[in-house]
Amino acid sequence: MSELETPIDLEDPTLSELEARAGHTRPAFGEDAHILCDNLVRIYKTEGVEVVALQGLDLLVEKSELIAIVGASGSGKSTLLNVLSGLDVPTAGVARVAGTDLLAMTAKDRLRYRRELVGFIWQQTARNLLPYLSARENVHLPRRLAGRGAGADRPPVDDLLDLLGVGYCADRKPAEMSGGEQQRVAIAVALSNSPQVILADEPTGELDSENSEQVFAALRGANRELGVTAVVVTHDPLVSEQVDRTVGIRDGRTSSETLRREASDGNIIAEEYAVLDRVGRLQLPRDFTGTLGMERRVRLELERDHIGVWPDKPQPEDPQ
Amino acid sequence: MNPLILLRAHRGTAAVLAVLALSTALLIAALPRQAEASYDDALHGILDDTAASLTDLTVSQRPRSPEQHVTTDELFKTADARWRSLLPPVLASAQDRSRRGAAHYGVKSIGTPVAGRLGGGERSFQYVDLAWLSGAAQRVRYVEGRPPGPPSVLARVPGLPELRDVPRFDVALVENASDRMAIPVGTTLVLGNSRPILARVTGLFQVLDKTDRYWQHELDLTNVTVRRVAGSDVEEHRITGLTDLSALGELSRTDRDLMNKWVIALDPSVLTSRNAVPVIAEVGDYQRFLSQESAKRVTSSGQIGAFVPFELHTGLADLLRDFMKRLGTAQALMALIIGGLAVVAIGVIALTVQLMTERLRPALGLARARGASLAQVAGAGTGVVALAVVPAAVVGYALSYLVPGPVTPVVHLGPLLLSAVAVAYAAVRLAFSHRKPLNQRREDVVARRPSPRRVVVELLAVVLALGGAYLLRTRGLTTEDNAAQGADPFLMLVPAALTVAAALITLRCYPFPLRLVVRLAARARPAVPFVGLTLAARARSVTALPVLILLPALAVSVYGAVVGDALDATQHRAAWQATGAAARVDSAAELSPEAVERVRRVPGVRGVVPADKGTVQLGLGGSTATVVAVDLDAYRRILAGTPLQAPPPAPAPDPSAIPVLVSPDLAHLSTFEIGWHVRMNLTKAGTITGGLPGVSFTTENLIVVPYDASKRAGARLYTTLLLIQGDGIDPAQLRAAVGDRRDILVSTVEQSLGKVTATPLTATITGSFLVATIALGVYALLTVVIALVVGAAERARALSYLRTLGLSERQAANLTVLEITPLVVLTACAGLVLGLVLPSALGPSVDLSVYAGDLAVRDYEPGVTTPVLLAAGLAAVAVAGAFLHAVIGRRRSLGSILRVGE
Repeated sequence: MSELETPIDLEDPTLSELEARAGHTRPAFGEDAHILCDNLVRIYKTEGVEVVALQGLDLLVEKSELIAIVGASGSGKSTLLNVLSGLDVPTAGVARVAGTDLLAMTAKDRLRYRRELVGFIWQQTARNLLPYLSARENVHLPRRLAGRGAGADRPPVDDLLDLLGVGYCADRKPAEMSGGEQQRVAIAVALSNSPQVILADEPTGELDSENSEQVFAALRGANRELGVTAVVVTHDPLVSEQVDRTVGIRDGRTSSETLRREASDGNIIAEEYAVLDRVGRLQLPRDFTGTLGMERRVRLELERDHIGVWPDKPQPEDPQ
Repeated sequence: MNPLILLRAHRGTAAVLAVLALSTALLIAALPRQAEASYDDALHGILDDTAASLTDLTVSQRPRSPEQHVTTDELFKTADARWRSLLPPVLASAQDRSRRGAAHYGVKSIGTPVAGRLGGGERSFQYVDLAWLSGAAQRVRYVEGRPPGPPSVLARVPGLPELRDVPRFDVALVENASDRMAIPVGTTLVLGNSRPILARVTGLFQVLDKTDRYWQHELDLTNVTVRRVAGSDVEEHRITGLTDLSALGELSRTDRDLMNKWVIALDPSVLTSRNAVPVIAEVGDYQRFLSQESAKRVTSSGQIGAFVPFELHTGLADLLRDFMKRLGTAQALMALIIGGLAVVAIGVIALTVQLMTERLRPALGLARARGASLAQVAGAGTGVVALAVVPAAVVGYALSYLVPGPVTPVVHLGPLLLSAVAVAYAAVRLAFSHRKPLNQRREDVVARRPSPRRVVVELLAVVLALGGAYLLRTRGLTTEDNAAQGADPFLMLVPAALTVAAALITLRCYPFPLRLVVRLAARARPAVPFVGLTLAARARSVTALPVLILLPALAVSVYGAVVGDALDATQHRAAWQATGAAARVDSAAELSPEAVERVRRVPGVRGVVPADKGTVQLGLGGSTATVVAVDLDAYRRILAGTPLQAPPPAPAPDPSAIPVLVSPDLAHLSTFEIGWHVRMNLTKAGTITGGLPGVSFTTENLIVVPYDASKRAGARLYTTLLLIQGDGIDPAQLRAAVGDRRDILVSTVEQSLGKVTATPLTATITGSFLVATIALGVYALLTVVIALVVGAAERARALSYLRTLGLSERQAANLTVLEITPLVVLTACAGLVLGLVLPSALGPSVDLSVYAGDLAVRDYEPGVTTPVLLAAGLAAVAVAGAFLHAVIGRRRSLGSILRVGE
């Protein structure tokens, strides 16, 4: 709300104040964020049919943060992940990961981005690994694709597997591993090139709860040990309830954020927030609007410490 | 990405690809070799069957001035070397210089009459020439007397006092000439009417080896030439005798007409269908070199009067020209067969490559997403295809060397093209499908609209094909003046272009009939036809290649069947036209009624129509006509059920007249007289066009009279010709029945059919059509199976969903069959139509008459049954493939299919 404050400050600015103000560029939206999505739009165009998968999505993720993205099927979670992983190109908006602008990349940059900056894990265990390579070879594959062998700058493959608790699977082929082991090897594959960001699309979607637990633990371990930023798309409450921040997506926009912090008694306190975007738009939960019969228009009233939202006409079932 | 690991992971598909590459490389390398070998066999057969005097080169000169005479062996040798040095390259390489070869040189006198004999025993009308030929002495064996010695000069000749200082040559004659011309050993002949010479017969010889091609050049030495003297009954006899080498000088000093000749023998095995065209040109060149050489030898004006050029005698150019004309047709047909086969085979391989790239998609897609560049992905996938295809193609290429035959560029190009197409197709396909790392195919959501560019390209292809077909029809595969140069390569591609055009049209129009059927199926109660046909209508990506494969496969095999049928029918007709009935007896002399009776009793003979044939004088003028006396009613009866037809007999205008049919050029005659066995008056009662095939080959100056015409005219019945109806008649028995006489000619349909079909090229063509049809059938089956396997995962999922909704396994199998059936049936129809249209589109340019006894092959419409059966068979085989695939797919459990890819 600094724009509103400016006229007040301008009443009596000193020259030095003005000078300082001119020389000082205000931080851009999310400038220091590791992952930044600003008003991101992705439209799938096929002849005659147009699907808007992302409709101006905003997202900020700090470095080394572990966040979960939740949302109903078709809400645009996977599209967002594909955009972030460099597999898909957004139609408009800003998407920046670790300082790389995803909209202004050439094919070559994109390849380099996929090789060096991100790693990802798909939901289908079978899709993450080549069935005829052993776990070690699978982990080794991205390095070989990038044209680098066992460089000094990245941990040995076996250490990576050990870190994820699947060191004993190094010589096994995917068919000889359980689903959980496969997903943990898949995380190792994603981490193979020491990326700054790993993206996981429902990594536990095909697993039972015990395996889910192990996979998520591995993911969180990697996040903590290697300091890698992790974005996990999930339906699994087991996952979404264990991260510090959960971002909800609805209709191609971020609609809510849940923050968790540990209370002094050791309990986890989760607080859900609605997301206010940069131009001041707010998504009201459908339950709220439905209950109050809010349609098309609402009345806003600015109070001292909050903004009130009222239906445009009195509720008929509320005779008082 | 290591292609070897990928190859091992997809070894099944790779094995299919390898087997296909191997068999295709073998086929398209071996078939042209075999064809070339058979062309060469045919050429060598023709050259071997032709007299050496026509196939070899003979340089000759009839010397007029003393310096043109060649008087020693050395001079002959020098000239021989000179002629050989003038030979153009291919002809030079084809020289046969072996000792056993036919090459030689020598001198002969020409047309020397025997003026008399010393010691009496005159015979008139005899000619004896003298010759010295290199190598002749080694090729004869003296059976009487001794070889000729050196000549001598007689100061006086006993009995002929006017002759002084007459040269006398020793001469040896072939044994049978001595008998036929009554010239025993020891006879001295006076040769020539002015300044005669003497020839003393010192010996008689036999030719050591009658098959020696040497003697084919010198038939005047080994055979007596008998000639009827014009305007009289007298026969003249001619023979040439051998003299000694030492007689050369003396011979040139006599007044006899001499001819020097040098025979340059050629080795027929060096001549092939490939160097025939240059050889034709070289023969012309050589002729020109020789006349230049003659001109060079004229050095003073005095020699101009006596200028005699060196001449070249050979039938080689004409023989080769005739052969190239036949070969053009064979090559056009082989190009069609091999081209069709290659198109289909490469199509099947492309389809298998497509299967392979589909199989590689998950792995390569994952690698691409994990940071593989497009080059890495495409390289790895292409490497897999190359590893499967290239070694197999090399093995197939190597195996093709087991097939005997010359190596032409096609042999190398075929396997090379095949490997290149497979690898390039893989590379392009992979590059396109992995261009973007995330490859979610959403073709199910919306149909892709045809791009204008593609429509234009397709239209262009169709217009080009039609234009080519029009050109081909109007001007043929070759033009008159370049017939010997071989066929126009652009026009040889027309059949393939037409096929592609038809395939494009089929692809474009394929949905229209299908939509109609789908609409009908939607109203019907059962769901399977509707769902199956709808799936068929939506299966876009899979349809193009199978159509492009199935259509040419069918078109070529149907074309082969139609052409084969037409060729077969024409060969039969030609055979029947050659004999005129199942069997025929032709006699110069009259055949006795007893002989006719014996013929009737020959096993297999069912009926005999006696006839009479002769040449008669028309009226009292000088013109003659061929007359055939035959009972046309009876003849028509024995022709029933054969390809021959005879006109009905003419009705008699009045009972006393003899009604006849005449050829159109005699139609102006109404009643006329002929002098045959007896003079008879004939009344024209109709005309006969096209002659009487098999009885009389003339179509002009032909008169067909009733068999009893001579009897009616007051003489009796005459029989010189028997037209016989029956089956399996043994010509030997027939010959025995009529009395085994030399002037009787016996022929049967089987014999003449044998002659017509014995051409080596005919067997090649029919054999190749058979091989091609079988191979195409196999390819068609593979196409359907592979096309189904390509879409198997998707189809399995669709079917599994339907099965969870209550579709039975049987219905699921039916669904698969229904899905592929419209494609197969529509393509079969299009292929059938194309195959039936091709012969008439190409008919005039592909002249098959050389394979059908020089009878034009025109009836292309006959056997629709064979092509229809073929098309139906191929379609059935294809649909059976679909059923097989569906049945095998049934074994997989529902759950496993539904989970794949989720």
